[in-house]
Amino acid sequence: MGNVIECNNLTHYYGKKMVYENLNIHVREGSILGLLGKNGTGKTTTINILNGFLQPRSGECLIYGENSQHLPPATKARIGFLIEGHIQYAFMNIHQIEKFYSGFYPNWKPAPYWELMSRLKVTPTQKISTMSCGQRSQVALGLILAQNPDLLILDDFSMGLDPGYRRLFIDYLREYAKAENKTIFTTSHIIQDMERLIDDVLIMDYNRVLAQCPISEFMTTFKRFDFELENDQVDLKNLKFVKNLEMVKNKVELYTYESKEFVQKFLENNGVGHKGFNQVKMELEDAFIGLTGKY
Amino acid sequence: MWKSIVYKEWLKIRWFLIGFTILGIVGIGYLFLKVQHGFTFQGGTSFWYNILFMGLQFFGFFKYFPLLGGLIIGVAQYFPETINKRIKLTFHLPLKENNVLLIMHAIGVVCLVLSYMLLLGVFITLSTIYFPSQMVFDSVVSVTPWFLAGLVAYFFVALIVLEPVWMYRLLYAMVAGFFVNIYVKSPVIAAYGPAIPGLFVLTILMSVVLLFSAYRFRKGEM
Amino acid sequence: MEKFSRIILVLGAILVLAITLPMLYWMAFEKPIKKPFVLYSCIDKDFFILRAGTPITFEDNKGNKYTREKYEQKLPMWYFQQLMVSGLMPDTINGKAIDMHDIGRNKSFERFKPEDMNCPKPKFFPMFESQSGRASLELPNDYFRITWRVEFIDAGTNKILEEKSQLFSAALYHKDFAFPATKIEGLPTTRKSCDEGYLIVDSSNELFHVKMIKGKPFVKKIDLPDGLKFKHIICVDFKDKKYYAYLFSEKNEIYILTQDEYELIKFPVTEFNAENCDLKIYGDLFNYNVTVEAEGHTDVIILDKEYKKVDSYHESWPLLSERTEDKIFGYLFPGELSMEDPNSKYINFYWKGSGNLGWIILNLLLLAVHFLILRRREAKLKGHAVDLALVAVTGIYGFLAVNLFQNKFFD
Repeated sequence: MGNVIECNNLTHYYGKKMVYENLNIHVREGSILGLLGKNGTGKTTTINILNGFLQPRSGECLIYGENSQHLPPATKARIGFLIEGHIQYAFMNIHQIEKFYSGFYPNWKPAPYWELMSRLKVTPTQKISTMSCGQRSQVALGLILAQNPDLLILDDFSMGLDPGYRRLFIDYLREYAKAENKTIFTTSHIIQDMERLIDDVLIMDYNRVLAQCPISEFMTTFKRFDFELENDQVDLKNLKFVKNLEMVKNKVELYTYESKEFVQKFLENNGVGHKGFNQVKMELEDAFIGLTGKY
Repeated sequence: MWKSIVYKEWLKIRWFLIGFTILGIVGIGYLFLKVQHGFTFQGGTSFWYNILFMGLQFFGFFKYFPLLGGLIIGVAQYFPETINKRIKLTFHLPLKENNVLLIMHAIGVVCLVLSYMLLLGVFITLSTIYFPSQMVFDSVVSVTPWFLAGLVAYFFVALIVLEPVWMYRLLYAMVAGFFVNIYVKSPVIAAYGPAIPGLFVLTILMSVVLLFSAYRFRKGEM
Repeated sequence: MEKFSRIILVLGAILVLAITLPMLYWMAFEKPIKKPFVLYSCIDKDFFILRAGTPITFEDNKGNKYTREKYEQKLPMWYFQQLMVSGLMPDTINGKAIDMHDIGRNKSFERFKPEDMNCPKPKFFPMFESQSGRASLELPNDYFRITWRVEFIDAGTNKILEEKSQLFSAALYHKDFAFPATKIEGLPTTRKSCDEGYLIVDSSNELFHVKMIKGKPFVKKIDLPDGLKFKHIICVDFKDKKYYAYLFSEKNEIYILTQDEYELIKFPVTEFNAENCDLKIYGDLFNYNVTVEAEGHTDVIILDKEYKKVDSYHESWPLLSERTEDKIFGYLFPGELSMEDPNSKYINFYWKGSGNLGWIILNLLLLAVHFLILRRREAKLKGHAVDLALVAVTGIYGFLAVNLFQNKFFD
């Protein structure tokens, strides 16, 4: 299966401030990619470039083989786009907005939209602008499902959703995507949910990509070891295999892609006295924080 | 697809358009009530005299009304698009970005022009009760630039509202201010006669300027 | 399409700049011209000149300075009221006894500006009753127009008065009037001593005098010399009742049309051009003072009561184009655009090129600067050809416009 999204050597600056340089992203057809990163690392920049709302300094993004800066209407029809904050035409009510969008998409399937709407406690004439954050998000998501696109670009879709509903939606989305071979490119602030949803993970840091791989691979190869140093003056931070190190007094959290044996051997060979060495099992959120640091 | 766009634009502007038009009709009604009052108290002779020889523009208080309409419809139509950058949704519709904008613009223009035509029609109809056709014609020549000013204001509102950079908005607003001023100069009846063809051309040309700021938005100017 | 929209925006900005910048320039740097006020003394048979300024100066044609009182005494016709108040009015002038009533009766003043001619004209006029037998004139209830016929329309009902219309139409028709009228000039006011109706030019440039006498039309076709066409007519109501109107021909001759005999008399004035000269005609007991004021000079021609030239005065001052502020203007701006023109009440796009070609230097300089700006931005010149052309042609306007709304298109 080919790539639905292909970003090659993407470079962007805001004025003199570099966002990233030579970024490459590939999203396989039928896969779900989660773009993770702290605020300001370029998640929204990437989404904007993908949707043609930002011209990168250099490089290009191809969606279904078309440059994202000049997507032809037929390609745009294949892409469902959820704007961060579930932005929609809030001056409409749920009937008006469905009527509006249905005119654009030949594959319009209103069933999932109305199913979601039936669960919202809103009146038929209530404007979207008067709805709660959660209700608005469901309207926006419902519209994308009804559009029935091949590629879903979801910018921070879980924002404003109740935890229970969020879980439900993620499960639904994953099942839906896998059953209908949809491709999803998503970002989210709430990382714990992503683990249930995504196939591949792309973790961005300031100016660079920290990881881009299947999530299963990331979760098995990225590890955390805790131990206590005998001498807290020892500097382990700048070692090549150490991806991140959090130290409180002499208690160390060491994050690495290397194996337990490798780390232990290293500590012994270099005469770093320590005790209480053990590997700690991590959720995606822990791993993310481990990789990107707490600040 | 264009039907859906018509629908959306109509939802945004309908109450403003209807409100503006009603206000206009009420305004014209008031105007002719005053004319009627003038005819009753001063007599038609001196009312005509004031128009013909004293430079009375009995419709003068209407001068900035079409301009107001252009501003209202422009803001009603484009401001909701810029809240939370909703225009992104519009650009994401399966149409060429410029085409979406031009369709939206055309809808706004058609609505505005229909409203203007209605107002002008009411004005002309009521005028012909009191005044002969040549005097009515001179009045129409006088008010035509004001209506064109309304359209120009509408075009510039679109340009200004869609622009992502405040500095540019300010620059556009300055150009717009001076530009509109071209249309609302002389209070002499029918003085605009020779300039009207040129003003028409200018107005039509200005209908595309919004594409520039929309392009700047799409390319991520900030 | 985006590129086109930008060019339109830039052109709009150029238009606005070409109006605004010169306006601001003149507001800041224009200096007033103190034009002389020239009168002819019936006592000294020479010109006396009042010059505005601080202080106001009064002098004769040879430059001798006078006090205000002495000056006014030299001009008893003009300052007649002041001299009466101060008791300095002479009883005789040039040996001739002066009757105060004669002075008043012979006094006339008319003023013309080109914009009086170049303006939208009313298309309806009130036809007064010329011999109503009443002391004062009354505004009729109807107004007439002359299209394919004469039509009187009642202002109260907005209906055509058929009978009256037919009556006047027939009267004009019988005098070979070629409908419609191209000019209708009169004094449509009740504030005049009496009514003399209208002077009307028909479609074959013939001149007619039309008025209403006891409800009946009075129509007189006036014999014109061959080829004489009028471009403007000013009807007058002077106490001496010598003539109906001043008439300006296409060749800028000034005529008067005498009352009763309908004789056209040409003023020996060649300095006048109705398109761009102000004209003041001041008549008194002894003379007519015809003041023609053009850009850069004034001519005062004195006629006697037989309309023969007795004297003339010419004074010029630097033309705008010869003054420093206009020369500098020429180095900055290729010209100026205005919606208004001092010689017309019509709104239009009035373009006035600069008095010198100095702006070409600035245009080329700005072109070079813009070229360098593009170089620094590493822009491809091909995509900026229109911008460069605009800067080359419109100079500072184009330069500002293309740089305010920069051509930053991505390929």
